[in-house]
Amino acid sequence: MYLALKEMARSKVRFGLLVAAIALLVFLILFQQSLQNGLITGFIGAIRNQNSPVLVYSVDGQRVIQGSVLTPDLEAAARGVDGVGEVGRIGQGTFTALPTAERLGGASETFDTSVIGYDLGEDGRGLGSPTSLSAGRYPAADNEAVASSSDQASGFDLGDTIRILPGDEVITIVGLADDAQLNVTPTLFASYTTYEAAVASANPDARGLLPNVLAMAPAEGTTPEQLVANVNAASPDLDALTRADAEANTPGVSQVRQSFQLIFLLYGLVVPCVTGLFFLIVTFQKANTLTLLRAVGAPSSRLVGSLLAQVALILGSGIALGALLYYPISQQRLGGIQLRFETSAAIFWAVLLLVLGVGSALLAARRVLAIDPIEATTGAGVGR
Amino acid sequence: MNALELTDVRKVYTMGDDSEVVALDRASLTIGSDEIVALVGPSGSGKTTLCSIAGGILRATEGRVVVADEDISAYSEKELTRFRQRMVGFVFQSVNLVPFLTARENLLVVDELGQRRGKAAQQRADELLEELGLADRAKNLPSQLSGGQRQRVAIGRALMNDPKLVLFDEPTSALDTKLGEQVMDLIRTEMKRRGTAAIVVTHDERILHYCDRSVHITDGVLAA
Ligand SMILES: Nc1ncnc2c1ncn2[C@@H]1O[C@H](COP(=O)(O)OP(=O)(O)OP(=O)(O)O)[C@@H](O)[C@H]1O
Ligand SMILES: [Mg+2]
Repeated sequence: MYLALKEMARSKVRFGLLVAAIALLVFLILFQQSLQNGLITGFIGAIRNQNSPVLVYSVDGQRVIQGSVLTPDLEAAARGVDGVGEVGRIGQGTFTALPTAERLGGASETFDTSVIGYDLGEDGRGLGSPTSLSAGRYPAADNEAVASSSDQASGFDLGDTIRILPGDEVITIVGLADDAQLNVTPTLFASYTTYEAAVASANPDARGLLPNVLAMAPAEGTTPEQLVANVNAASPDLDALTRADAEANTPGVSQVRQSFQLIFLLYGLVVPCVTGLFFLIVTFQKANTLTLLRAVGAPSSRLVGSLLAQVALILGSGIALGALLYYPISQQRLGGIQLRFETSAAIFWAVLLLVLGVGSALLAARRVLAIDPIEATTGAGVGR
Repeated sequence: MNALELTDVRKVYTMGDDSEVVALDRASLTIGSDEIVALVGPSGSGKTTLCSIAGGILRATEGRVVVADEDISAYSEKELTRFRQRMVGFVFQSVNLVPFLTARENLLVVDELGQRRGKAAQQRADELLEELGLADRAKNLPSQLSGGQRQRVAIGRALMNDPKLVLFDEPTSALDTKLGEQVMDLIRTEMKRRGTAAIVVTHDERILHYCDRSVHITDGVLAA
C-alpha cells in the first residue's frame, strides 16, 4: 500500500487523468443506462404499471394496443376459455388534447395524448388501471382520469381539465401515476365509456367501436402463463401475452434494448482496455524500479499487490466520481423522458467494471511477475 | 563466522546457439566477518556475476555458496528473495533509487516491502540519514539530489536491513575523483563501525587503499 500510495501521490496528474477518463466513461454508461430505461418506460410504462396480468390482442394488431381490434367473435372466444377469472375491455387511442388549466394562462399548446379506457369496476381499479397512484384517487365516474405523472407541468396535474380536440369532451384529472406513459405521450386512464366518448367527439362518424385489447386475470389455481396458453389455443387470431411479455414484445422495445446493449458492450470493453493499457505502460515505464525492488528482496507478490491496490483505488475513485457527476443530471427530464438515478444499475456497473478492470490489469501483473532481479545488476539497468 | 564462503563456484551461460560463456570458473573466496575486499578486473571478467551469486540474485551453475553460515546453494527463488531481504545489502552499478520516493522513503521501502518492522525501521532510517550527512535531504526526491548524495542514499538503503554482507558494484564510477574518495571513505567508516563485511567492485586502483585486501579476477578466474 505504501509504495502504491506514494507513487500515486507523486504522479497526481497521470493517475488523475485516468480517474477522469474512467469517471467520464462511468458517467456515460449510467447516463445511457437511464436513458434506455427512461425511453422504454416512456414507451410501455402504461403496460408495465397496469394491474392486468394477461393482455389479449388480435394477431393483426402485431402487439400494438391501438392496432389490435377484437371482433365480438374473438372477444367471445377469449372470454370462454378455461381459467379465466376476470375480464375487462381496454380501448386506447391517441388524441389531440388541450390542457385547459388556468395557471397555463390560456396559452397552452396541444399534446398528442393517449387515452386508455378500461372497465372501472367498483373502486376504479378494474383490470387495466394503474397499479398504484402517486397522488389523488382512481376515477369514480366517467370523464375522470388518472394521468401519467411525468406530464404534470404540461397541464396534466391533479384537478386539471383536458379537452379532447376537435369536440368538447372534457376529462378531469383526479389521480396521478408514475411511469405510466404510453408511446412517450401524456397518458390518461379513464373509463371505457369516456374512451368511447373521446373517439366519438374526435371523429363523429365513427361507428361500432370495438375494444382493442382484453385485460384478463386468471381464476384461482390458474397461472397467467396457463391462461395465456388457453387463450392462444382457442383461436389462431388471438394473441395473449403476460404483462411482462406484452411489455417486452411491443414493437421497438427489443430494438432499443439491443442498440443500447451494443453501446454497453463497447463501454464494457473500453473501460478495461483503458485501465489495462494504462497500467501496462506504467509497469513498463517503471521496470527499473520494480527490478531494483525485487533485487533488494521485495517478493513479487508484494509488488503485484501494490499494483492491484492501485488499480482498485483508481477504478473505485473513477466510478465514484462518475456516479457523482451523473447524480445531478439524473434528476432531469430529457425531451420528455424522465431520467432517474438507478442505484442498482450503478452498483451493477461498479462491480462489473471493477472486476473487468482488475482483470485487465493482470496483464501488467504478469509483467511484474516476469521480472528477473538479475537485471538490476547489469550496468545500465533494465532495458539496456 | 565468515561473511562469505565461495567454494568452486562456476557460472556458465548457455547462449542461443548452444555455445557457452563461462562467466565464473571454479571461484573460491572466503571473506571474514568484517573484511572489506576489493574485487578488481577488466570489463567482462565476471565481477558483477560473482557479486550477484554472493548476493543471491543469481544462482551458480556449480559450487557452494555460504553467506554468514547460511548455505544458499540450493535455495529456491522464494528462499533467495527472503535471503536478500534479510542478509545482504546492494549498491548497484546504476539504478539504485526509486525515482518517486524521497531519500527517506527509499530507505523505508526496503522495510515496507520486506520485514515490516515499522517504528524501528523509521528510527533506523533517520539514524542512517544522519550518519550519511543526509538528514536535511531526507524529503528530497532522487532528482533533487546530487550524484554523490544519491550514492549516499543508496548506501543507506543497502544498510537498512542490517546486512551481513554488502555488495558495492562500482560505487564510485559515476563520481569524480574527489567525490569518489569521499564515498569510499564513507563506505569504509560505515562498514567498520558496524563490523560488516563488504565486496567493493572497482576499476580504480586509487580506491584500493580503502579496502583491507584486493582480489583480482580475469576471465572468470580469481587470483589473490
Ligand atoms: N545474462 C547473460 N547471458 C550471457 N552472458 C552473460 C550474461 N551476463 C553476463 N554474461 C557474460 O559473463 C561475463 C561476465 O560478465 P559480468 O557482467 O560479470 O562482467 P563484469 O566484470 O561485471 O564487467 P563490467 O566491468 O563491464 O561490469 C561477460 O563475458 C558477459 O558477457
Ligand atoms: Mg559489472
